[in-house]
Amino acid sequence: MATVQILPVTVPALPTDYAPPVASSSISAPHPLGHRVLLPVGQAHLNHLRLALHHAHDFDAFDAHTATEREAKKKLLAAEGASEDDHGVGDEEEPEDLLALDPKEWKKQDHYAVLGLSKFRYQATAAQIKIAHRKKVLKHHPDKKASGTPNETILGININQNTNDDSFFKCIQKAHEVLTNAEKRRQFDSVDPAFLEAEEDIAGVTASDFKNKKLDFFKTFTPIFELYSRFSRAQPVPGLGKLDATKAEVEGFYDFWYNFDSWRSFEWWDKEVNEGSDSRDDKRYTEKKNKSERARRKKEDTAKLRGLVDLCLSLDPRIKLIKQHEKEAREAKKAAAQPGKPAKKTKAQEEEEKKKAEDEAKKKEEEEKVPTVFLDAKKAKAAAANAAKKARREARAAEEAAAA
Amino acid sequence: MSNTKTPPNGSATPSEDTSKNNLPPIVGINFGNSFASIAVFTKEGVAECIANEDGERQIAAAISFSGEEIYYGNQATQQLVKNSSNTIVGFRNLLGKKFSEISQSEQPKSAPVIQHPEIADEPAYKVEILQPAPTPLPTSTHTSNLNTPAASHAATPRSEPTPATRILTVSEVTSLFLGSLLTSASDFLGKPIAGAVITVPPSFSATQKSALIAAAENAGVKVLQLLDEAAAVAAVATREDWGLEGADREVLVVDLGASSLSLSLLSLRDGLAHILASSNTPTPTSNEIDDVLIKFFAADFTKKTKIPLLVATQAEQSVADKRAEARLRLAIEHTKRTISASSGPATVSVESLKDGVDYTGAINRMRFDLLARPIYSSVVTAVTSLLSSVELDAHAVHEIVYVGGSASLPGLDEALVLGAVFAEDVATPFARGVVVGGGVGDPTTVLARGAAVQGALVASVPADDEAYAAIRGAYSHAHDGEQVSSANEVIATSKTLGILLPGPEAEEGAALGGTWIQVVAKDTPLPARRAVRFDVAVAANAKAVAVEVWEVSESIRVEKVVVPAAPAEDDEDEEEPEEEEIKHRVVHKDSLLGVVQLTSAVAIQAKGNWTTTLEVVFVVDANSQLKVQVQEIGEGGAQGVLKTGA
Repeated sequence: MATVQILPVTVPALPTDYAPPVASSSISAPHPLGHRVLLPVGQAHLNHLRLALHHAHDFDAFDAHTATEREAKKKLLAAEGASEDDHGVGDEEEPEDLLALDPKEWKKQDHYAVLGLSKFRYQATAAQIKIAHRKKVLKHHPDKKASGTPNETILGININQNTNDDSFFKCIQKAHEVLTNAEKRRQFDSVDPAFLEAEEDIAGVTASDFKNKKLDFFKTFTPIFELYSRFSRAQPVPGLGKLDATKAEVEGFYDFWYNFDSWRSFEWWDKEVNEGSDSRDDKRYTEKKNKSERARRKKEDTAKLRGLVDLCLSLDPRIKLIKQHEKEAREAKKAAAQPGKPAKKTKAQEEEEKKKAEDEAKKKEEEEKVPTVFLDAKKAKAAAANAAKKARREARAAEEAAAA
Repeated sequence: MSNTKTPPNGSATPSEDTSKNNLPPIVGINFGNSFASIAVFTKEGVAECIANEDGERQIAAAISFSGEEIYYGNQATQQLVKNSSNTIVGFRNLLGKKFSEISQSEQPKSAPVIQHPEIADEPAYKVEILQPAPTPLPTSTHTSNLNTPAASHAATPRSEPTPATRILTVSEVTSLFLGSLLTSASDFLGKPIAGAVITVPPSFSATQKSALIAAAENAGVKVLQLLDEAAAVAAVATREDWGLEGADREVLVVDLGASSLSLSLLSLRDGLAHILASSNTPTPTSNEIDDVLIKFFAADFTKKTKIPLLVATQAEQSVADKRAEARLRLAIEHTKRTISASSGPATVSVESLKDGVDYTGAINRMRFDLLARPIYSSVVTAVTSLLSSVELDAHAVHEIVYVGGSASLPGLDEALVLGAVFAEDVATPFARGVVVGGGVGDPTTVLARGAAVQGALVASVPADDEAYAAIRGAYSHAHDGEQVSSANEVIATSKTLGILLPGPEAEEGAALGGTWIQVVAKDTPLPARRAVRFDVAVAANAKAVAVEVWEVSESIRVEKVVVPAAPAEDDEDEEEPEEEEIKHRVVHKDSLLGVVQLTSAVAIQAKGNWTTTLEVVFVVDANSQLKVQVQEIGEGGAQGVLKTGA
């Protein structure tokens, strides 16, 4: 398509008494071939040749051809960009407040955002971090900035406004340092601001919330467990699953989450040892405090997760379903064990029912073989307590009897 | 090729343009008679003039043989002082010429051109070199039975190199020099150079062009295209980063070289360029500027030290004078650059100029312009005669582009714009402020960049696709001989086409009956397509718009005004309010081609006025039939079509 030249004029309105004059002729004859000889140079010349030689001077055909060409090129570039070039790091926007970060406050900065890896976060690979860092350095290196922005003149005095120019570069270097060190990266990932935000958003559910707001169980809990799964040492982590999950799956899920082995730690929030004092006691005191604080946080975190799993278990519709099935099976068995009642049934029916009951019993037996850790845990506990009480009572009775 | 599926319109499958990431290693070489420059595409995807190993962007076209060493570029010019007989300069213009064609009148300041001792009528250079002695034979392991001392195991030292003479043809010298340029470029890019585009002066004959191609092939590079200097300018001037792209304009290219002045008048039509007129005169040259400058400094030296110094004359000089002149000539390169860059005084300092006396002098821009005034005025004369040869008024020229180191002088620009009476708003690189700091208009790098840009373009044309054979022919034929590829011959419109929107006169004194908008300028190669978009006011009740399509002729009306009454603006393009003369670009309506009448459907009201935006597309096809489409911008806008001819 021809480039449209936009003219900065506004043409006045047509006079009301305008009458179109009579058109006379076609345009005058052009200069003959060879009167003008093009210099064989430039993109426009190439386009002109292609128009003349490949498209018989037809602008529409040429437009269509260049459009397909551009598409093909775009695809090619996209394919290149995605596969090997930058591992899909791409370019992210850099809002003002990100660029205004203070390198002294590096502990508080979002290292992934600084390197433009917000969309990957804890999943960013080493290669991606490397490429992202290189891109940012190319863009923000102080050597590149020195000449780029002119100094502002205030009150006639030439004040260099760019003294703080390399601050973002320092942030980039710090982010790179943190993210390339496995230990530091885990520490940062443990308290990743984006994670904390997400946690606040979705993990704060309570049982009453559920009752009042009528939340959907799966929609609520699936993202919560997905969120926490990043901290598991054992990967992959079983997901919450669907309503039609088998008993084994459901039990496997709870088994995993009750025994969740997390690498999350809270060193990142340690208070720094006061630099001013070289007193060993001060240092030890701070260290001790940090250690206890870390332990406290870790404990809190574990408790929180535990609470979540408890809540999840108490609300899980599948548990109810499973219990119901079991109950039904038991009742069916019971019904099968009490003959006489379905006396009116024909023999064939009787046989059929019997067979069904048998099947169910078998199934139940099989199911019961699978360890039902938590379902029976409470029951077992209660039973044990009862047994102990009974034993105590018996013992007391025996004593009393002996005394009497 | 036969089994490749081609679209019905006969074109090949879409080619992949040069993308940013995988630009071909193509070098653009501006090969001047005294200086050369090289440009490549950098990683950022821009053509940039690069420096050689010595950090020089302006590489002197010189080779010097000193003992076993060969020096190229600016190192070689240093040898002109003490080793002038073994230093070769100015060889480009001799390329492809016969010995009998070369005038021997000038007193040589470097290695003289001689008749080749073996090849008939072939110019050559004779240089004294030191030939490295042959490597001695290794010590024999076989020892004789004779009772002789045991042979040393140390390698026999090489004997002293032996003096020898070497005869070099002009072609060999060119190959050596181009080879050094290519080494610089491939060192910069980190990969071998795949092809080169080399600029040639308009004075080059077909044999000289063939000789240049042969010399480049010997240097180990494939020549993709030879570019006229004017074409190299067109290559950069039609690019987006030039800042004036797309617009239809006439461009004057001024190349003040060391050996000649070449002027070209280009007509750019939406990126398509053709030469309206060109001239190439042996004078004035930048060497003349050098001469006056050297004379000035020599006189200053004599005044300060009372040592007589005879420079830049045809008279017989002493050896000391010759050396002093060579030293000064090298030193003023820097002085000229300083004058170009700043208006403050520029210094020249030469150690031991003559008789062991050092010289330091200074010259400011005003003084320099005064000295160079005669050269400037002869440039102005040449420009004026070129313009008059095609009966073009200086006011019709929209842009001036300077080429070459000496054309970086702001004084030349000033003298030319005032002297040849260009319009005040003529776009020169100095007025646009794109000369200093390696801007797009830097005269020293324009040609090399143009060649690099064109190189990338030629390299993007599929090399083994038959559908593109004719296009490749358009590039290669142009330098094969006198005849040009027929693909480059075009038919062009003879008159300007545009639209007139009836209404009150847009300018005072015009008699058009409305607002004139030029769409297709005259001399536009066909087929052509242009689109313009503008706002138009409409009456609140009728909302009628009429677009008259006219063919017009333009002229410059000169108005003699005794008192500068400062009449209102003429055509926005060109005007020159002077004390005595006022030039107007005027348009004469020749014939009406048709009227398109619309009723606006999507006009919007702002501040009580109804306006709408129209887009007018002109298509003039190869049979010179015009089709005009008028489209109101917006959803459901009104539209109208006008076609002329059978």
